Amino acid sequence: MVLTTEREPEHEVVIEMSESKGKVLTLEQARARADTYLRYNIDTMETADRWKIPRRFNVKVGKFGLAKLLFKEFFKYFGHWETVFSRPCTYGVFSGPVGGFSPRPNLCVGCLRCEVQHPDFVTVTPNGELRALGDKYLTWRHISTIDEEARKGSVPVRGQGYRGRFGGPGFDGMFTDMSEIVRPSRDGIHGRELIGTQVDIGKKPMHLEFDGNGAICNEPEMMTIQVPFLYSAPPTNLDDDRVVEIMASAAAKVDTLALLPVDVVNRLELGGANVAPIVNCAGCEVPEGTRLVELRQWDEQAHDALENKGLLVSVAIDMSGDWRADMKEARLGGASILHLYADHHGLDGEDGFLMDTLAEAHTNLVNAGIRDEITLIGSGGIAGADHLPKAIISGLDAVGLDHSLLVAMQARLSGDTKERNSATVQLPDDFDNAWGLQRVVNLSCSWRDQMLEILGAMGVREVRRLRGEFGRSMRCSVLEAEAFGEIEGYPGGGD
Amino acid sequence: MVFSPSEPKAPTPTLMSKTLHLMHDGLNARAFSKAPKPEALGDARWTDDLILATWFMAETGEMPENFNYMTGKSNGGFDRLDFKFIPEQEWLEHGEHLDTRLNLNRRDDGRQQLTPDLPIYGGGMSYGSVSVNVMMARARNAKRWNSFMSTGEGGYPSELYGMKENVITQVATGYFGVEEKSIKATPIVEFKYAQGAKPGLGGHLLAAKAGEEVAKIRGSVPFVSLFSPFPFHSTYSVEDHMKHIDWIQTINPEALISVKVSTPHDVDMVAVGSFYAGAHIIHLDGSYGGTGAAPEIAKKNIAMPIELAIPKVHKFLIKEGVRDKVTLIASGGIRTADDVAKAIALGADGVVFGTSDLVAMGCTRCSNCEGGPSGRGCPWGLTTTDIELKEWVQQDWGEERLYNFYAAVQWRLRDIMRKLGLSAIGDLRGRTDLLRYISGGEA
Ligand code: SF4
Ligand code: SF4
Repeated sequence: MVLTTEREPEHEVVIEMSESKGKVLTLEQARARADTYLRYNIDTMETADRWKIPRRFNVKVGKFGLAKLLFKEFFKYFGHWETVFSRPCTYGVFSGPVGGFSPRPNLCVGCLRCEVQHPDFVTVTPNGELRALGDKYLTWRHISTIDEEARKGSVPVRGQGYRGRFGGPGFDGMFTDMSEIVRPSRDGIHGRELIGTQVDIGKKPMHLEFDGNGAICNEPEMMTIQVPFLYSAPPTNLDDDRVVEIMASAAAKVDTLALLPVDVVNRLELGGANVAPIVNCAGCEVPEGTRLVELRQWDEQAHDALENKGLLVSVAIDMSGDWRADMKEARLGGASILHLYADHHGLDGEDGFLMDTLAEAHTNLVNAGIRDEITLIGSGGIAGADHLPKAIISGLDAVGLDHSLLVAMQARLSGDTKERNSATVQLPDDFDNAWGLQRVVNLSCSWRDQMLEILGAMGVREVRRLRGEFGRSMRCSVLEAEAFGEIEGYPGGGD
Repeated sequence: MVFSPSEPKAPTPTLMSKTLHLMHDGLNARAFSKAPKPEALGDARWTDDLILATWFMAETGEMPENFNYMTGKSNGGFDRLDFKFIPEQEWLEHGEHLDTRLNLNRRDDGRQQLTPDLPIYGGGMSYGSVSVNVMMARARNAKRWNSFMSTGEGGYPSELYGMKENVITQVATGYFGVEEKSIKATPIVEFKYAQGAKPGLGGHLLAAKAGEEVAKIRGSVPFVSLFSPFPFHSTYSVEDHMKHIDWIQTINPEALISVKVSTPHDVDMVAVGSFYAGAHIIHLDGSYGGTGAAPEIAKKNIAMPIELAIPKVHKFLIKEGVRDKVTLIASGGIRTADDVAKAIALGADGVVFGTSDLVAMGCTRCSNCEGGPSGRGCPWGLTTTDIELKEWVQQDWGEERLYNFYAAVQWRLRDIMRKLGLSAIGDLRGRTDLLRYISGGEA
């Protein structure tokens, strides 16, 4: 391609591109072509809660105490009405029609100024109803954060530092690295907009082979999704078509995949490039346009037959069983996309947590010399935005979201929320598709943006390069052993 | 009767008197246990006891009896470390002979010797993220301790020039408010490469907090969000970093140079690189520290807590044979005198206080510094430049609170030193043999 400007021919810019050698574009044509370039973007929109998540604080005002104060101040500051009527709350909790006599605790952010100023008649307490949400893994903090992310579609920002425990169990025991000077890009405010979050799913050869004419003999058979996460199927006991419809539409909007049971896909006619039907056998009908299917369990014949239909085939591996053996069998049988399912606390059947089990799965593939031939997907135990990069660092190519999607749709989960397919799910009463779709899209955007924060801080330009990068993460336990190893009393430490 | 929040305007003298009286009495009622601990106060790192103890110290200059003023409940790091005190009969006398001074220039390069009375100085909080009142209170307190406080990256409000011997000028990636005048005025120039609470993400002042005055000092337009990009767009290497330092030292040949970095896995290499580039002070900012506003995901997930970074860097500097030529400062999660002593025992020379200063002036750690739903910033008048709210922190009061708090911290530091049989705080550096790890159970 030759790019020329009509106005300044002496400054003609010549760019050679193999696909259109010799073609001359005017400046206007070049600009028009440039204008067709669309940067990947997820459209968010503030989407109010349908079920009011319990407020953070309860505010109680003693009526007698308040009346006494008002009476006293009325005389003390007589004429200075602004002073008499001034209130400690800048958030409007006492700004209703009758002020502090009927506070509006939903607006309280817990600054405690009212309680500190008026210890004799104001109390602000954490709302137990909020803290009762979730379980010990998907905690009330995760739920309220996901709720905010699904409502706003943005990255949660708060003042002051970290408030939680030091390190902690599960993914809390991992820190991601950062670089003081290396950036993914010198452009833009933070260079984030040039970071790639695409991942490839499919069969990739370790190297390309060419025939005598220079043509590629083993072209990769794969598809690309724009974000390193996909939507795993909702629990089998959730019988609500709206949820699967939302997942399918959201997957198309975000350009990822929704894994959904084939019978539901066919019945609701949800098929398309962004839906991956989950099948039991090769005989299942899958809709036109399907790019990938998932086999519920390894079955070599079914796998080959589906591949022969031109489909990419993912194989589900249940981590509650002997997943190492199942993975090996599938891999040796020719499977190239493996989807590991942990329980909703991220544990396998022997209580091994994702950070270790995924690292083991990844390392086994590396040691076998075939890591790039396999796509590793993992579902279960992804409860917060930070879990995404951490699961990828642990070895995944792409991460499956499950309960977090339901929480974004303000589902209330109860019963056994740890095992797969066992939680009782209650959706908001006035739940509808358009609302649910935007909530899932918002969550997806927020989590992608937070992934960009992590990648930006690390100086990593594309998420594909994060996979299995154990060296760009730090384990709290390892750092502690290094830092405190010689101190008396440290387990295994000095004396 | 409708109590709707009116348009903010400067408080009248009567309103000031009423509000300040109520706020101060309220803080004291809690600190002196005249009212119960607020149920919603505190978190694992800053427990209700730590906050109330700090309020008590800030009011009295003494240690409280009713609260645990030593540790939080984070179940790790400083909260799992304790001191191995020597037998009581060997304890030294408590008193001023116990030396708590900190030497900031160990390079023997002919530049000024700066020796604060405490192994502590004030971390960067920019104009915009806090008001001039808060900055001045911190600067005036620093002066009384022969110490320093950093401007943060928001420029140098003119009032601060009166305290210039005690004000560190920060040069950060947005270069907001960096002028020849403020470089010349300062005894220490601090290069901020990164910040522990949001490492690698740069800074962001929300539009609501970038009012007329803030914008003027930052050379910007009022009520427009201000980003500090990350990183320095002129620094790719230690050599580039050296050029930065040369540039500053050409303008102010007397200034000591501090380099503030966060705590990635190669923080030890970064520290050594900074030393060879010419830094007098290497300032490590751990990931659990505070800030005006940061993405939640950054706060605990990126980079390592300060407790884990200090020994790594200390040992590496020893290995490189340069440990005694540079001052190692730790920040990002240092809350108490006990934390200060533990940080030093792990290998730091001194520490920087940030959140502790705010808590001393009434902060409840409510996390609404970025503006909160009101958009006006801190309701306690700390992290705000709102025309009304900023008046809730008066300079005299703030200075006195901080002075008292630092006095109590010094008392406790001396208490720890004497019980360890040490007469100078510098003798504690790197003495992990004087620490004990408390394992098992919740800490
Ligand atoms: S705690 Fe703060 S936000 Fe809540 S009601 Fe009191 S003053 Fe208002
Ligand atoms: S808003 Fe004020 S009181 Fe709340 S955490 Fe921030 S500085 Fe502290």
